[in-house]
Amino acid sequence: MCEMPKLLELQTQLRDAVLGGAASELLAEIDADGLLPEARVRIYRNHAVSTLGGVLESVFPVVCRLVDRRFFAYAAHEYLRGHAPHSRCLAEYGADFADFLASFGPCKELPYLPDVARFEWALKAAAAVREATPLMIEALAKVPHEAAVSLKISLQPSVRYLASCWPIDAIWLANRQQEVPGVDLAVGGASLELRRAAQGAAWQQLDPASFAFRSALADGLALGTAATAAAAADLAFDLAAALDRLFAEGLAVGLGAC
Amino acid sequence: MTEHSRFPHGLVGIGLRLPHLAEVSATRPRLGFLEVHAENYMLQVEALDRLLGLRRDYPVSVHGVALSLGGAEELDRLHLDRLKALVDRVEPLLVSEHLAWCAIGGVYLNELLPLPYTEESLELFCRHVEEAQDALRRRLLIENPSSYLRFRHSTLSEAEFLGETIRRTGCGILCDVNNLYVSANNFGFDPVAYIDALPAEAIGEIHLAGHRVAEDADILIDDHGSRVALPVWELYSVALRRFGPAPTLVEWDTNLPALEVLVEEAWHAQQLADVRNAEIA
Repeated sequence: MCEMPKLLELQTQLRDAVLGGAASELLAEIDADGLLPEARVRIYRNHAVSTLGGVLESVFPVVCRLVDRRFFAYAAHEYLRGHAPHSRCLAEYGADFADFLASFGPCKELPYLPDVARFEWALKAAAAVREATPLMIEALAKVPHEAAVSLKISLQPSVRYLASCWPIDAIWLANRQQEVPGVDLAVGGASLELRRAAQGAAWQQLDPASFAFRSALADGLALGTAATAAAAADLAFDLAAALDRLFAEGLAVGLGAC
Repeated sequence: MTEHSRFPHGLVGIGLRLPHLAEVSATRPRLGFLEVHAENYMLQVEALDRLLGLRRDYPVSVHGVALSLGGAEELDRLHLDRLKALVDRVEPLLVSEHLAWCAIGGVYLNELLPLPYTEESLELFCRHVEEAQDALRRRLLIENPSSYLRFRHSTLSEAEFLGETIRRTGCGILCDVNNLYVSANNFGFDPVAYIDALPAEAIGEIHLAGHRVAEDADILIDDHGSRVALPVWELYSVALRRFGPAPTLVEWDTNLPALEVLVEEAWHAQQLADVRNAEIA
């Protein structure tokens, strides 16, 4: 008679079976009760695939529409095999779904699909975060002149920056409508700032210099470095005006040294 | 037994799902309490703000689905901390979790998976229940799962396992009557005998929900996707007679209907509870 498996071993086997792996050792431990053990395991597997696929569909509705629901379910299933959730909060499931799509061969005909997924994830992430009290621009006056270059300006926790060589926001908006209007992919890319809004999230298109400036600050880089990046994007970059706009839009929430 | 005076608007509530959140906030339907899935509010500030607004008018129950109390590893401290933060913020009347596991080896499956009912499982499960109760500084209610498989080497019945957990940890029971009906059907045991085997004084809450018949097998699936089935209502009446009045929740998760349908189901549960109370009177 075989020794009964330890609980950890048993649970590891059932986890693998739910994710689609082999289950031969596990099946011997399951009471048939009138139904094949593999059919019993399949009930859990089907439910996991269905519910986790549903989670992704709710976060990536436009990606789903672009590829159709059947294909999306297939992609979600393939994603689950190698990217099972780690967080107990499913709000965090799908963070690397866009990267998966970028490497998923059957999606190659839609080269903008990964960036649309990144946009949808950023919308969701921005909406989930509470905004902090913004600083007034007068706070800058207290910073010693010699410290300005290495000043770190913290931005709203909800803010996200996303650049794409495709018009992803236009694609997204078009596919939220019942009748999808045509989107001219030749209009070029998007440099977007997303942040929490009254309900959900909102975004705006930024000029190249503002995008370089603000995304550098969001990455934790010093003011001097961010200004250099902005000037590299546009020699006419005006730092004083950019700071005015940054504070006027309530984006700056903290000052510190890098 | 739960202190029922803390439920001034009655003992019957609904599982509040995110798509109904705005409507419930706007219309404030007549309900005894609202129950939320803890994990839906841990990282969603807008939903949490709405819930805190509702908390002023309704008793709230927090129902966890991801603590994995039956997992053969240490409890996930991050998740327990998040649950504690939510419980401290919402101050619910009830906090519940499951007799199940859902994560192992860093993978969360979003499934309430069955345990073998052995002494090894019991020791581990009780240790985790005690750890969670200590962290939350609350008595947990533990829900019986709906099951589709059993392990050959189980040495205890599920009711015995639950009863022993209560004796060792002081936790209470959330008796999900639909889960019980589903499992009893799937394994061919008597659900009334199961109810009789539970310690009535430990019942802190009852759950009701819909189920469906599997397409390809003589098995019931607990999908929370339809009205409560007639035999589950009948079993609910049996449970009320055995347990006495208990906060009762109607859950609906898939194919979510209009809010009014869910409220109708709750009122039906209230009618059955009223009948039971009249019998006693």
